[in-house]
Amino acid sequence: MTVNRRKKPASVNPMKIGQSLGAVLALQGCYRAMPLIHGSQGCSAFPKALLTRHFREPIAVQTSALQEMDVIFDANRNLEEALNLVLSKHRPDIIGIIGTELTDVAGVDYQNMLKTYKRERNMRGGLAFSVVLPDFRGSLESGFSSTVESMIDEMIQQVGHRGQRSVNTRQITLLPGSFLTPADVMELKEIISSFGFEVIALPDISTSLSGHLLTGFSPLTRGGVPLDSMLQSLQSALTIAVGGSMERPARRLHNAIGTPYKVFEGAMGLKATDELLHFLHQISGEPVPLRYCWQRENLLDSMLDAHFQFAGMSVLAALEPDHLHSVSGWLEELGVEQKALITSFETPLIAGMEREVWVGDLDDAEVLGKGADLWISNSHGIAGAQRTGAAFMPAGFPVWNELGAYMSVSAGYRGAMEWSNKAGNLLMQREAGSRESSVRHR
Amino acid sequence: MDPLRQDEFDSQACGSMAPKAKPCPRPKPGEAAGGCSFDGAQITLLPIMDAAHLVHGPIACAGNSWESRGALSSGPSLSQYGFATDLTDSDIIFGGEKKLKDSIDYIAGRFAPPAIFVYSTCVTALIGEDMDAVCKEAADRIGIPVIPVNSPGFVGSKNLGNRLAGDALLQYVIGTGEPEPETDLGVNLIGEYNIAGEMWDIEKLMNSAGIAVTSRITGDARYKEITWAHRARVNMVVCSRALLGLAKEMESRYGIPYFEGSFYGAKETTYSLRQMAYLMNDREMERRVDRLTEREEARLSQELRPYRKLLRGKRAVLYTGGVKSWSVISALKELGVQVVGVGTNKSTEDDVRRIADRVGDDTEYIPEGGASRIIKTVRERKADIMIAGGRNMYVAMKEQIPFIDINQERHKAYAGYEGLLRLAKELTYSLANPIWKLAASPAPWDKEAPPYDR
Ligand code: SF4
Repeated sequence: MTVNRRKKPASVNPMKIGQSLGAVLALQGCYRAMPLIHGSQGCSAFPKALLTRHFREPIAVQTSALQEMDVIFDANRNLEEALNLVLSKHRPDIIGIIGTELTDVAGVDYQNMLKTYKRERNMRGGLAFSVVLPDFRGSLESGFSSTVESMIDEMIQQVGHRGQRSVNTRQITLLPGSFLTPADVMELKEIISSFGFEVIALPDISTSLSGHLLTGFSPLTRGGVPLDSMLQSLQSALTIAVGGSMERPARRLHNAIGTPYKVFEGAMGLKATDELLHFLHQISGEPVPLRYCWQRENLLDSMLDAHFQFAGMSVLAALEPDHLHSVSGWLEELGVEQKALITSFETPLIAGMEREVWVGDLDDAEVLGKGADLWISNSHGIAGAQRTGAAFMPAGFPVWNELGAYMSVSAGYRGAMEWSNKAGNLLMQREAGSRESSVRHR
Repeated sequence: MDPLRQDEFDSQACGSMAPKAKPCPRPKPGEAAGGCSFDGAQITLLPIMDAAHLVHGPIACAGNSWESRGALSSGPSLSQYGFATDLTDSDIIFGGEKKLKDSIDYIAGRFAPPAIFVYSTCVTALIGEDMDAVCKEAADRIGIPVIPVNSPGFVGSKNLGNRLAGDALLQYVIGTGEPEPETDLGVNLIGEYNIAGEMWDIEKLMNSAGIAVTSRITGDARYKEITWAHRARVNMVVCSRALLGLAKEMESRYGIPYFEGSFYGAKETTYSLRQMAYLMNDREMERRVDRLTEREEARLSQELRPYRKLLRGKRAVLYTGGVKSWSVISALKELGVQVVGVGTNKSTEDDVRRIADRVGDDTEYIPEGGASRIIKTVRERKADIMIAGGRNMYVAMKEQIPFIDINQERHKAYAGYEGLLRLAKELTYSLANPIWKLAASPAPWDKEAPPYDR
């Protein structure tokens, strides 16, 4: 329908997250990778701290540590120094150089510098790429998907065009959007593989940020998709992208090497999951595994049980674009009023939504969602939810007020059930709380 | 940026105005850790709870950093709002000064704060925004102080940012107001940020000794009280050398004596309280402090007894960021915990000397960061526990090393006598937790011999 913006000069209680953080997140899903932020040290320290706080895991990231004079004279000298050090000390398989607004405004050409560097040093075997991500555009979501796109580009450069592509008909590349938790990615991998496919997720945070106990610390990423699997993914018969933002990297694969793709805008709720399973059933010719038939019934049953709870309730959701779209679809199925939908920046998917969406911040959420019973947003929203008296449900990024948030599932029937129960419980507790206080007041 | 100013910093020590200490080292590309100067400036000023803090730049500087500190407020919460000018491409091209001006007006109109702090960031500094002029013009127009904080990330480390924030206070805030007539004048606490409520424990102690706090710089502060900080009788610099310059400048400008102290450990706490009373030059107060500290120490040692028994001989590696290592070492020593490794990356020579006074010869100094380096020390020195900042917490978890968070993000207050007891409890809980045994033993099927030959 329409995308609106409230008129105010400053951002108040921002929900927007710098693009470069999305890039760092994407690289966590690759094995033995090192994201290298080309900027001042704060630009890597903040994302590192924030990601650590959310995932409760060490986060691999480094910086070219630009200082004022470096920016003015020769920023790439720092980058070269950083590359030398990281390569000799840690020998990563993958390096992603992430340009910031600082290098953008100063007009630093690190793309060419990287090319020369690779040529001069005869770098082979690894994957080194760069991506331009100034923070005055987009948000976490766009940073994440642009990085996946650059990664794919580099993979194609390395092997793609060489000779005939041998297609593995039982192999699917999964491009999971930035809003999916490690547990979501795992759930999607399981669903797809239950139809007999090999799945290569790109990136795969389900094996790096899901809290495994591999002992020993490494400054590189400790899990995620290894480089050889990444390259092998170029042989996949199909790409499945989850989230509108992942369409571009999927299209890139299609244009360059002809891999067909299918985009699922979301994977949350009954209809979205139906669509996914139906599609997998059709392309594989396999029946839908019994456990999903069970889960479907479980979901419907729990929605029946909960529908009394949701009757007459209104919800406010403030999330990154793809996530908002997904959650809005699920809210539709619960039959609640969607009081206000707020997102961080405009995307084609958002522009195409049938509901009214606002691009703004958590302060806008407070104003527009006044009177909502349930507030869904990242943990920054707690104060706003308190002020407006809404029950608070953490979702998106960052979440720090809940243990294990990164392992909560929203994808598939199981995810929809988990979310419906969680939302219902929060509303139930809120109701009980207000009853108690009314008794006390008398 | 003003070039003269830059030179001035370079020639000076990192976080102190003492001329002979080493200058701030350049962060090493590919190996740097820690925040930027903007971060440091924010940490120092955000605890002024009733002020608005506006970040002038693209979204990430504010968007990735707001609400990340555990500085608590006893009342107003405006400083917990995240304000940013959120510059876009076109703002960068045409200049963001108009947007900054509008943002200031908007915040003043809607929230009516006593003051607005405006922070520059790398991009706004790079494109040469004249923030000082915009702030001055706005302050004159709207009639509240609008204070520019010129501490863009790329001028240096977090430490330098702390100092630049101190400079902003000296230049624009301190000395601009007068205390209310009935105010009891006493001590300024400088560099205590009320992380996890530590300020409250300290204030309680000072009150029981009859020592008044004049200005809190800046834990749980109100803007107004900082404007009259120049009327205090004593300055105490708490665990943060970065603001030592502030105290020195106040000494020369207003003749206020200062001392450096800490509230970690009973001994340091007692020393600090005594020092306050001494510098206030009040015999009666000194006697009150003596009575109080005696009583508190006696009670504490009673309460600590069971924990001391458990902690005696335990070995710790200490890697602090902002909190002074030497004072935490004193606290640990009082509990019988031996410090076998200590980080000195942010310490000045003075700090290192103080550390050396407090640890044995076999303590290893860890001069530079890096998680692997710290872990190596833990392993080699057979430490039982690691005490460090939150950034290293999950690194320790991955290595299954008991851990205590000592930095900005922690949730436990360790200052004063109460704080030492809390620290003792935390150490005990952490070391005694069953998880260490559980995690270290394999699943039953992994340790069994195969049940039958195949
Ligand atoms: S280094 Fe500069 S751009 Fe990066 S967070 Fe700090 S102030 Fe912002």
